[in-house]
Amino acid sequence: MNVFLNDFFTVLLVILSVVLMLSMFKAVKGPTVADRIVCVNMMGTIVIVIIAILAVKMCEGYLADICIIYAMISFLSVVVLCKVYMGVYLEKCNKKANVEDTLEVGKEGTENVND
Amino acid sequence: MSMISAVMGIIGAMFLFLGVLVFICEIFGIIRYKYVLNRMHAAGMGDTLGLFLCLLGLMLISGINFTTLKFALVILFVWLTSPTSSHLISGLVSLTDEEIEKHAKVDVDDLKSYVDVDIDETTISDNAKEDE
Repeated sequence: MNVFLNDFFTVLLVILSVVLMLSMFKAVKGPTVADRIVCVNMMGTIVIVIIAILAVKMCEGYLADICIIYAMISFLSVVVLCKVYMGVYLEKCNKKANVEDTLEVGKEGTENVND
Repeated sequence: MSMISAVMGIIGAMFLFLGVLVFICEIFGIIRYKYVLNRMHAAGMGDTLGLFLCLLGLMLISGINFTTLKFALVILFVWLTSPTSSHLISGLVSLTDEEIEKHAKVDVDDLKSYVDVDIDETTISDNAKEDE
């Protein structure tokens, strides 16, 4: 029974590693930022499952603590990335709006001078 | 006693296998879907269900233990926080995507709760302005 479970865990670990690599490819390729955040979140969840399988396979109890910490850090990273990118985007939009305003003001000035 | 643990082991192995199948479906969806919000939906649903089935299987294999309790805590934490992550990602997409009106309907009032900065008309795309 234990030998069967060991081989079974090994096969599952290989399958999960392949899924992890595919998710990494999508994270690099993904056209938008949100794609990458989604893939990083998924990679975190898969790593949690891999560590949990290792914890049961090697009969080491302390590896389950790492799962809890990894879940917290993965959630925190998604929240921080979303907030930071929203702030960056709004700043870029405001700067573009300010530049356009100053360009319009400049054009009005030259029109008055030509008249 | 060993018979019960063997049966629990086999049932746990089945749940674990189903969980890995869910993860395979999830990555298939993330690669093949055409729009960001569809991929986010696949990721959110696949993560919570796959994690639940995998950790449930591991809890059955492991028996009555502190490890089992810790896995239950991981499931509880991920079930509470994964919907929040999806909500934030969809808020990010609705704010930054220029062509979102082709795929979904956007309500401007919802965006104001995400950011501390005031959103004024200049930051919303022109397509949304026409609908208002």
